[in-house]
Amino acid sequence: MRIIEARQLTKSFRQAVKEPGLKGAAKHLFAPRYIEKIAVQPLDLTVEAGETVAYLGPNGAGKSTTIKMLTGILTPSSGTISVNGINPYKKRMENAAQIGAVFGQRTQLWWDIPILESFSLLKDIYQIPEAVYKTNMNQFIELLGMSEFIHLSARKLSLGQRMRADLAASLLHNPPILYLDEPTIGLDVSVKQKIREFIKKINQEQQTTVMLTTHDLGDIEDLCKRLIIIDHGAIIYDGSLKDVKSNFARERVVFFQVASPLPALLNQLAQAPDIKLDIQGELEFSLSFDRFEYTASEIVGRVMKHGEVVDFRMEDANIEQVIKTVYDGNLDLKHSRPQEGA
Amino acid sequence: MQLSRIIYLYKRMYAQQLKAIMEYNKDFYILLCSAALTQVLGFIFLNVIYNQIPDINGWKFWEVSFMYAMIFLTEGIGSLFFEGTWRLSGLVNRGELDRYLLRPVPIVLQVFCTGIGVNGLGNLLIGGVIIWQSLIHSHIHWSIAKIAITLLLLVSAVIIRVSINLVGNSAAFWIRNAGNAFPLMVHSMADLAKYPVTLFNQGVRILISTVLPYAFISFYPATYIFEKSGWSGWWMLAPVVAFGSAAAAYCIFRFGLTRYESTGN
Repeated sequence: MRIIEARQLTKSFRQAVKEPGLKGAAKHLFAPRYIEKIAVQPLDLTVEAGETVAYLGPNGAGKSTTIKMLTGILTPSSGTISVNGINPYKKRMENAAQIGAVFGQRTQLWWDIPILESFSLLKDIYQIPEAVYKTNMNQFIELLGMSEFIHLSARKLSLGQRMRADLAASLLHNPPILYLDEPTIGLDVSVKQKIREFIKKINQEQQTTVMLTTHDLGDIEDLCKRLIIIDHGAIIYDGSLKDVKSNFARERVVFFQVASPLPALLNQLAQAPDIKLDIQGELEFSLSFDRFEYTASEIVGRVMKHGEVVDFRMEDANIEQVIKTVYDGNLDLKHSRPQEGA
Repeated sequence: MQLSRIIYLYKRMYAQQLKAIMEYNKDFYILLCSAALTQVLGFIFLNVIYNQIPDINGWKFWEVSFMYAMIFLTEGIGSLFFEGTWRLSGLVNRGELDRYLLRPVPIVLQVFCTGIGVNGLGNLLIGGVIIWQSLIHSHIHWSIAKIAITLLLLVSAVIIRVSINLVGNSAAFWIRNAGNAFPLMVHSMADLAKYPVTLFNQGVRILISTVLPYAFISFYPATYIFEKSGWSGWWMLAPVVAFGSAAAAYCIFRFGLTRYESTGN
């Protein structure tokens, strides 16, 4: 079932053009000039119920603008959106009742009142039945480790605590759809882990559809099967994480530990143009290569011919490097097809 | 959404704000007294003028005091219960309306409950006392109907005041400066209605009876309560004006909301 559907969605903002200095400011006062800045170009997007989708892109690509249109915060300049059959900006309240949203940069909680009271206020706002509220509260407090700070007001919480409270707040009413905009920004490793596990559990147990934007690719590998990459307001890739990995994460590294130094081999390898040698110690080195060019057994075999290998381990390129290449404009996921390995 | 639910949510959110200000506002009494002092000074000034002359255009001291007090009584109620309208520009410019738009609660209601203006309590108390005194000193023949109509006029006055505040502050959707002066300008116009409209020329009279209907807060209710001939029947428009202002304010606010751009992207 298609739960989120956007067709030809666009958003542009009017931006003032101001020349620098006092003169420029005065000029703007009497004859203001504006330009239309296009944040989102005609964009088609479909998300199936129960999916976890990572929505990626460099800063300023239009990720948050899209999420804000889907949540009903912004009115699109053109195009249509349907979220579970509801138009989010025309029927904002109906839509708000069926979604949860966490914006990492900004809390949804009341600043001055204790978290527990914020939650009880949300219970009334979303008209959550007592039994559901109790079950969720108990579960969330335990899973997110909130008992130590639930009586404090939001302004007194650390970032990690606040984010956990925000996440719990967004899910109290069991929404079928959850939007997360940079949910792990600025968090330490242990809190990140807690949050990821929590989201995973909610997705699996309640089939909550999750759409998340992030710059932390650990979030994606842990949570998302599908990847949508956007840049300059347009989608440049939409497909499975596995495909990106197997097609584009081409670099493979093999780490060797050998019984005795192998100067001849290393010399030979250092000359090879498509194999990168990295010497870590007298008896330890690593070789990086394109896994479409060489197979791992070829490389290992070559080393073993020259001497005794005590130990070796292999690492594949992670998704982070692939995404970085895409952001830098050096890889077009849509059009470039990987060459088949020799 | 049902009215009972709206009132319930308002009460819940308002109570939370109340708890917050009781914890953090240490200048509670200063705010309270400064607002009251301003109004008391104005009242003394009025008294000094009336010591020199018996009436202004046929309006006596207590009658003008009534109009004067109606303006800041409604202002007091506005700050005490609908202070959030004054925070709208901050909410829009800092993108904090995002959070409100994510909740299944009418936006206007959430804006109203954004804060509580404690200074309103000072205005409310002093305004109440002066109105009380002006009614006692004016030898009015009270009947059940007159009491009911007076209360209706009071409710209309509050609605008109809050609606005008909301419209003035909705300018934030168009004027993107953190400290835009438009709402304050609209607000100061209310001073014109502290005195009988007959003091002013035709232009001002029309302005404060139509576009910014402040005269329906003070002057027209006064013509009814003090039974001024020549203005009979005009007060009946007050509830209509209240309804119209509220509807217009709501539409303007909703229209402004479609222009809301949040922050960042």
